[in-house]
Amino acid sequence: MIETLTFTYPASAHIARRAHVGVVASGNCELLLEPSPESSASVIVRTSVGGYATTWEAVLARFFARHSIAVRLEIDDFGATPAVVAMRLEQALERAR
Amino acid sequence: MTPHIGDSYAERNARERAQALLDPGSFREVLGPFARLRSPYLAAQGVTSQSDDGVVVARGTLGGVRACVVATDGRFLGGAIGEIGGAKIAASLELARRDAERGTPTRVVLAFDSGGIRLQEANLGLLAIAEICDAVVALRAHQPVVAVIAGRVGVYGGMSIVTALCNEVIVTEGARIGLNGPDVVETEAGADEFDASNRPLVWRVTGGRRRFAQGHATALVADDMPDIRAAVEDAFARNRPFVAIERPDFPDPGLEREAFLRAYGVTP
Amino acid sequence: MSAWDTRRIRKNQRLARAASYVRSGVFESGDAVAVLESVLESGDRVCVEGNNQKQADFLSRALASVDPERVHDLHLLISVLGRPEHIELFERGIASQVDFSFSGPQSLRLAQQVADGRVRIGAIHTYLELFARYFVDLTPDIALVAADEADASGNLYTGANTEETPTIVEATAFRNGVVIAQVNRIVDRVTRVDVPGDWVDLVVVADHPYEIEPLFTRDPEQIDDVQILMAMMVVRGIYERHRVRTLNHGIGFDTAAIELILPTYGERLGLRGKICTNWVLNPHPTLIPAIESGWVQSVHSFGGELGMERYVAARPDVFFTGRDGSLRSNRALSQNAGMYATDLFIGSALQMDVDANSSTATLGRIAGFGGAPNLGSDPRGRRHPSHSWLEMTSAAPEIRRGRKIVVQLVQTFRESGVPTFVERLDAVELGRTAGFPITPVMIYGDDVTHVVTEEGIAYLYKARDADERRAALAAIAGVTPVGLLADGARTQELRRDGVVAFPEDLGVVRSEANRSLLAARSMRDLVTWSGGLYEPPKRFRSW
Repeated sequence: MIETLTFTYPASAHIARRAHVGVVASGNCELLLEPSPESSASVIVRTSVGGYATTWEAVLARFFARHSIAVRLEIDDFGATPAVVAMRLEQALERAR
Repeated sequence: MTPHIGDSYAERNARERAQALLDPGSFREVLGPFARLRSPYLAAQGVTSQSDDGVVVARGTLGGVRACVVATDGRFLGGAIGEIGGAKIAASLELARRDAERGTPTRVVLAFDSGGIRLQEANLGLLAIAEICDAVVALRAHQPVVAVIAGRVGVYGGMSIVTALCNEVIVTEGARIGLNGPDVVETEAGADEFDASNRPLVWRVTGGRRRFAQGHATALVADDMPDIRAAVEDAFARNRPFVAIERPDFPDPGLEREAFLRAYGVTP
Repeated sequence: MSAWDTRRIRKNQRLARAASYVRSGVFESGDAVAVLESVLESGDRVCVEGNNQKQADFLSRALASVDPERVHDLHLLISVLGRPEHIELFERGIASQVDFSFSGPQSLRLAQQVADGRVRIGAIHTYLELFARYFVDLTPDIALVAADEADASGNLYTGANTEETPTIVEATAFRNGVVIAQVNRIVDRVTRVDVPGDWVDLVVVADHPYEIEPLFTRDPEQIDDVQILMAMMVVRGIYERHRVRTLNHGIGFDTAAIELILPTYGERLGLRGKICTNWVLNPHPTLIPAIESGWVQSVHSFGGELGMERYVAARPDVFFTGRDGSLRSNRALSQNAGMYATDLFIGSALQMDVDANSSTATLGRIAGFGGAPNLGSDPRGRRHPSHSWLEMTSAAPEIRRGRKIVVQLVQTFRESGVPTFVERLDAVELGRTAGFPITPVMIYGDDVTHVVTEEGIAYLYKARDADERRAALAAIAGVTPVGLLADGARTQELRRDGVVAFPEDLGVVRSEANRSLLAARSMRDLVTWSGGLYEPPKRFRSW
């Protein structure tokens, strides 16, 4: 089954445009990043590798602590490691600027 | 001294391939990731869906002429075709045929990297392939349908049949066109008959050079974007009608061997 | 009247027993089992050439077929216990004791044999250590080796795959052991003399050429963005910073990424000629672009690499090649070179504790060490200085000395989702359960000077004490349990003091870390770089 996780973080900084990075391949993930009118970052993670909610929380919390951007973020995951997820987050942010 | 390493098509993802095939700056994706046209069937089977279902449809121009590139993403489930992705491909072909009937033709390039039908969607994938084949044949009546098979997956199963229906098939030496995958052939026929782990053998039998020698591919080019773009341009310029290969054009096995060796740059 | 030449006498007796099968030093392949049964005596120390790469598989198969009633309880000496028939020796009672270095593919079966009491492990060594013992207390009575060619005088040509053959043969021959060589063919005149005929007793032409695997080839198509990011940090934060000229790369995709970004990223930084000039490593195909771009002055190798023969022969200014043109490798000398004559070792680890000790030990397997512990250690016997070596002392003590740069590359999580960083290595418990005399640590934390993760670099050599070392490691341990304990304020302090560096501290831009930075992105590209000289083995072909 697909595990769906949701996270929200307070945020205020804006991004210029939406961005899409990555691919749903083994060990990888796809990210859809869009500006949000709210003052928060809201994240949906859909993953075929369940049981890693705390790890996802840790990775995302770190990223949004570093970049407090108001966005809607969707992640489609196929077993990406935190290193790959962190990479995709930075790549998406770069494209959104 | 840096050798000439081509601007590789194979290295690009589907979106980048479509972008690189179309005239610079003309790329506009249709129903892209943010349309979120995901497969409705994968989640229930514990498989993560992709927001574009592994198919990119892009409008633009090719040599200044209205064009549409349909590219499959070989990295998502091996590029296998499901209901949504299949519908994107079929609809693009059908719309191009409508454009042709109205006198405003849209060139179509099929940039395929696909293992065939997505097993998780089985009959819907089969249906999609049938619709795509139908649409290729219908569009072919008006203009050449051009396939570029130059990725790391190649085309197998139903997608190889679609490819065989195209007027023009552009390949690189790294391409593969086959019906059953090498492992399946080995399982069915035995390793003595076909050793799937013998990779040079797999390419000798189903690779770009072989397919070009046999006439299943109409152009063999280097994995270099300028060469591939030029081949696409030539394909449309030639405007050749479809020629079916009823049987290999080599009634004499010796002649086939000659053509095969020549394709490998060996003087027979 | 005591006898002082018992070994010589015994050797002559052994050869006499086999004499009926031997003509001018050569015996037929069909007589291999009979010859071994004649020459061997129960309890003998038998060194079988199971190297890291080359395998004397004809002789090892013959050995596994001897009658255990006639020949039993042999003491097997072998670098790599990697073939199924090596395990058969224990199953059949032909051998009951083993001293080795690495067991890779047979690690599980070896563990089972040990558990079943069919074999006793003397010790697990590193390669160089095992060779060393051949000259002290583990001298072979019999050596079974593999070569490409032999001539009528017994001279052997081992070519690119020389590896440890001369070392094994020297130890055996000069203490009156019997040296038996399997060859691919007998010729009138060997291509060159790698092992002199005076050292060799018996030769047999094997039923097929000796087995060898391409272990040092990595397909650039498999290298991902994270590995490239780490490679950029290594080039900037370590090679450039410490002006590293002489080095050894452990094999892996992450080091392959470093090799492939030298002609691009390294070139952009203006580092050609300043770093990475002299190498100890096998002929990695991924080094071809750097060689072709003029980065590499010399390479010495432990062994060869399938497919690289013609390329190496065409680059004699770079590689060690004989008068005949082909590569000459030597594992013992190359390991020594890697230890004493390189300023830096870099390799990857599967699991690391908070003190930077690392191990590859896994439950239920007895895998061993190979050569990494030699290369990934600080050789205190070194005395010649270099800029990089001297820079490793952070304080200015009275007794001035240098230190080898030992770099560990680890991503914070493994592909399986398991954290790499742990409080305590699995090896501690595994060693205890298996009854090992020492904990199977691959590289000791106190030898490690730098740890690189996708989060940054910990310059451990700069840490003032064990506590600061642990804090530095935690700072780059990401969201692993170890990493989550990192104190944010402390991390900032460490960054200010240069004990920790994040990519931005090194001027490394994360978004630049992508495959376009690789000088070659496929096997085909490597072939192109080599001008068609590199011939990838079948499994690496996609055309």
